[in-house]
Amino acid sequence: MTNDAKATFTSIKNPDARTKKRNAAEKRFRAYGLLAVAVSVVALLFLLSSIWTKGSGAFYQTYLTVPVTMSAEKLDPKGNRDPDEMKKVTTIGYSKLIAQNLIDQLAVNGLDTSNVSDKNIAKLLSSESAATLRNQVLADPKLVGQTQIFTFLASGRIDGYFKGRVTMESAALDNNTSPAQLVIADEMKNIGILSIKFNWKFLSAPDASELRPEAAGLGVAILGSAYMMLVVLGLALPLGVAASIYLEEFATKNRWTDVIEVNVSNLAAVPSIVFGILGLAIFINIGGLPQSASIVGGLVLTLMTLPTVIISTRASLQAVPPSIRDGALAVGASKMQSVFHHVLPLAMPGIMTGTIIGVARALGETAPLLLIGMVAFVRDFPASPPSGFFDPATALPVQVYQWTQRADPAFTERASGAIIVLLGFLLVLNSVAIFLRSRFERRW
Amino acid sequence: MNNMIFLERNVQVEKNKIAAQGVQVFYGENHALKDVNVDILDKTVTAFIGPSGCGKSTFLRCLNRMNDTIAGCRIVGDIRLDGEDIYEAAVDPVQLRAKVGMVFQKPNPFPKSIYDNVAYGPKIHGLSRSKAELDEIVETSLRRAALWNEVKDRLHAGAIGLSGGQQQRLCIARAIATGPEVLLMDEPCSALDPIATAQVEQLIDELRSRYSVVIVTHSMQQAARVSQRTAFFHMGNLVEYGETGHIFTNPSDPRTESYITGRIG
Repeated sequence: MTNDAKATFTSIKNPDARTKKRNAAEKRFRAYGLLAVAVSVVALLFLLSSIWTKGSGAFYQTYLTVPVTMSAEKLDPKGNRDPDEMKKVTTIGYSKLIAQNLIDQLAVNGLDTSNVSDKNIAKLLSSESAATLRNQVLADPKLVGQTQIFTFLASGRIDGYFKGRVTMESAALDNNTSPAQLVIADEMKNIGILSIKFNWKFLSAPDASELRPEAAGLGVAILGSAYMMLVVLGLALPLGVAASIYLEEFATKNRWTDVIEVNVSNLAAVPSIVFGILGLAIFINIGGLPQSASIVGGLVLTLMTLPTVIISTRASLQAVPPSIRDGALAVGASKMQSVFHHVLPLAMPGIMTGTIIGVARALGETAPLLLIGMVAFVRDFPASPPSGFFDPATALPVQVYQWTQRADPAFTERASGAIIVLLGFLLVLNSVAIFLRSRFERRW
Repeated sequence: MNNMIFLERNVQVEKNKIAAQGVQVFYGENHALKDVNVDILDKTVTAFIGPSGCGKSTFLRCLNRMNDTIAGCRIVGDIRLDGEDIYEAAVDPVQLRAKVGMVFQKPNPFPKSIYDNVAYGPKIHGLSRSKAELDEIVETSLRRAALWNEVKDRLHAGAIGLSGGQQQRLCIARAIATGPEVLLMDEPCSALDPIATAQVEQLIDELRSRYSVVIVTHSMQQAARVSQRTAFFHMGNLVEYGETGHIFTNPSDPRTESYITGRIG
């Protein structure tokens, strides 16, 4: 066996050619890996920073603080404070009233407004402000005749000026604003009429029309998304867990269970828009459910999430060692007792994690919602559940899609802001999933 | 093997607890057990020995119908517990397993507290009417499993924190908490160190006064130390079955002799 003639001393300090080659290959592989990680990190940072720089402005908004004297002769010409009579005064009347009050206020503060027309001063205000004031007055006719300090939204261009979107140069070319207007705005900021505040309305207000990006908010979209997630959670979790437990623990393994298993895996890979078509055909055309309603969106997203929940639940059930089942059966537990007392509690963290990740995916899903009409312009908040499930609503990702299609650059900022909100929700969901996994995961 | 003291042992003649006639087991196409006839006596330790894959664990799992959970497993023959056919359609395996407890090769306590592990069986079978009664069952079971003194101060601590030997004794306590008549043990010491093994073996000997114990083991010394009767399985056949002393000193089949002298297996 031994070949002593050839056995010469080789130092272990000098690697031979083969070892050097292997070490070089390992070094190369490490470099590739590091490069891949670096590219991903750079791409992610670029994405996040671009969204943040574009979208952070949506969380701040420019407001004008104006004392308004709600003169009775303009708002209630007949003088009987009857809301039905007062409705005859349109927003145009309110708009003029606010503009006049603003002009007076500027004069009181000694601002020189000679080179800006009154019309352009009125344009400093968002057209939303007249509607806001009208609604307040109609709701409380006693306001007529009083003078109160109101905070109105500044128009989108003025807001854009303070966020750097509008410059003197661009204003000179813009029909909707002028450099002189911006100069006045700067002066108003100095004397405190104009201020920049945190924009709670972005999270609570409904969407607004193309002409008033400054008033657009995510309220309806957040509520719609929340309703849909409730539907998804309420349907996908029990259905998915029940189906998985049956398939994994009770069903005899035969050709049929194999067919079902393959199909569940295939369903998980079906493009989401296909589920949208399915939802349109089944829930709206055949089922007669209303369009644009969160119940339909929730049902479609449930169909989409169900395979994910089933797959992750089956994986977590399989991960529970058979010895636990044997132990339970050996002391005389029935099959169901062994599943519900022992297997399911141990599989629960995995099930919750899978479900949350499925829900997070559903939260970011847009395509199927477009097909079932959730892309509509919805300004009215859906009612509280359960009837609210049948009211029209939009969803966060659809709102992003809608805003990116609008012409005014102010909507680019809104869309990025909405993406930040959406990413925030996803981050929260995924953190919960990670927390559950690390907190409740058991080892054997 | 100079510590074999079985020759002096007085084997009492007890009545039959389990009678198996013509038992055959198939795993799909695989004929795992061929025509096994065994009578297991009450209040006796019966050891099943034999090389790996000889069918001894398969047969053990037939005795409390744990093979029911294995897909494609088919059992032919007649196994009677106190004269009742355990594979009859009217028999609920849950009732059977309350009477025929089982301890597995690898300790498999539930990832719950020590107390909950032992109390689980009595709870699901409704063996106690009050918390005090349940406490008593838990204490008795743990005492019989020689674990009480080690865990009495931390009954509500997790069972996973126990050592391997303690876990196995906890599994024994769990098995006897339901008041079984037969205790099946599938290589209960193979995952334990010699000290824990000795404790479990002593425990088995004590359990003999109350239960009929059937133990599968790879260690012939263990079979010789703890059992009164031994069955030798080989390639799915029951080769020889009789008093332990007889099997080890004067086997009638050449295969048994080859195995216990270490030539096959």
